[in-house]
Amino acid sequence: MFSHALIVARKEIRDHLRDTRSLVSSAFYALMGPLVVGMVSIAVRGEKSSAVLLSMASVFVLVATFVGGMNIAMDSIAGERERRSLLPLLMNPLLRRDVVLGKWLAISSFALTGVMLNLLGFAIVVGFSFRLLIVVSLTLIPLVLFAAAVELLISTWCRNIKEAHTYLSLVVFLPMGVGMFLVFFPHMATVWLWLPVAGQQSLIDLLTKGAQVSLLSSLALSLITVSSAAALLLAAAKLLHRDEFVYGG
Amino acid sequence: MIETRNLKKSFGPVHAVRDLSFFAPDGKITGLLGSNGAGKSTTLRMICGVLQPDHGSVRIDGRIGALLDHIGLYQRLTARENLAYFGQLHGIPRALLQQRIEEVLLQLGMETIADRRTAGYSQGERMKTALARAILHSPRNLLLDEPTNGLDIPSVRALRSLLRLMRDSGMCIVLSSHILEEVRILCDHVAIVASGTVVAQGSPEDLCRQTASASLEDAFIKLTTDQEDLSCSATL
Repeated sequence: MFSHALIVARKEIRDHLRDTRSLVSSAFYALMGPLVVGMVSIAVRGEKSSAVLLSMASVFVLVATFVGGMNIAMDSIAGERERRSLLPLLMNPLLRRDVVLGKWLAISSFALTGVMLNLLGFAIVVGFSFRLLIVVSLTLIPLVLFAAAVELLISTWCRNIKEAHTYLSLVVFLPMGVGMFLVFFPHMATVWLWLPVAGQQSLIDLLTKGAQVSLLSSLALSLITVSSAAALLLAAAKLLHRDEFVYGG
Repeated sequence: MIETRNLKKSFGPVHAVRDLSFFAPDGKITGLLGSNGAGKSTTLRMICGVLQPDHGSVRIDGRIGALLDHIGLYQRLTARENLAYFGQLHGIPRALLQQRIEEVLLQLGMETIADRRTAGYSQGERMKTALARAILHSPRNLLLDEPTNGLDIPSVRALRSLLRLMRDSGMCIVLSSHILEEVRILCDHVAIVASGTVVAQGSPEDLCRQTASASLEDAFIKLTTDQEDLSCSATL
């Protein structure tokens, strides 16, 4: 049923693994967080240093969910329009839903790799336990899928890579803003717990502090996040049915 | 065989195709001849199904391949990989796909460039790859939108020979062009398009006879000027 989506995903992954510039930039970001936090850990001493480092790490990890797939998102859809290869692609006997699904899978794969690299770096620098690493990774998977869907929708809306780059660079600030906000106003976390990004930020904060986290509420947040991603994908598929998005210059 | 009946398509206030009907038989090259903006490309897009007509119908017997004005390739992939991707999307079984790719590469004389990334291709090489992509799934019908755009003279001649070969094998070929000479040399049947409708169709000789013109150019001017005058009067 989804064989076309898998063909599209496989092609996008192969294509973008050859895009050295974007691979280097994604890897650089993934490793930059642990590097910065590592440097701060040398500079900050005292009782509260561990809490500060963990808060910083959680913001970096959250941003990594958006950064890892950014290049492939802008190139695989807005770039496809810019290169005028979208029309030949859509002339094949495949559903536009499958085009969206395939590209989303590819974007998610890149983003997930970036996040894992980022988390591994923090595990080494901050000293996450293996168990914490697994739990945080599982918490972040739905967010990676959501971030990929947000980026895909924005990129579908944009006419070229430059335009997509402008908007996607702004989107990266979303988790950064939410993260910073929750660091300084932690009591707001209860209100935002059910929202993608803010919810994961709160969960990661609780997990890194060693607090108890309700499995049910974590699953509910994951469900909300994945459902939001699905809604965004449907919206992107709908855009691909509009003439001006396929032919618009 | 391709047949369109009363096709209409508007983009907001712009009536790109008003009422367009034509018939393209198998074993012939049918040319859609018209000025820029006459509605040729929109018609071809409706025929290959990427654009929904507002009204009218399209009838096609068998598979269709198309080389429209968007010929974007994946630049980090080789020509062979570009073809493999499209072949997979067409559902061609793996073993047959490899064989078909080799056939098409040979047919278009692309063996020496097939394993190079398409980023460094010349316009002619890009066009060949896009054409290879269009015929990979062995379509019975082929649509070409201004196929000689940007090609040098040897490439144009090679393309003409290839199209004649495909026609002689029984394929139905429809090509759009605004280049009279191209259509005169290549097409067995011509539909003249002006202001989104077919104003006349027949062989180039028929069109000259119908309009008592010495050349296809004169016939084209007579037929399209009348239609454009009518279209202007209707707008006013």
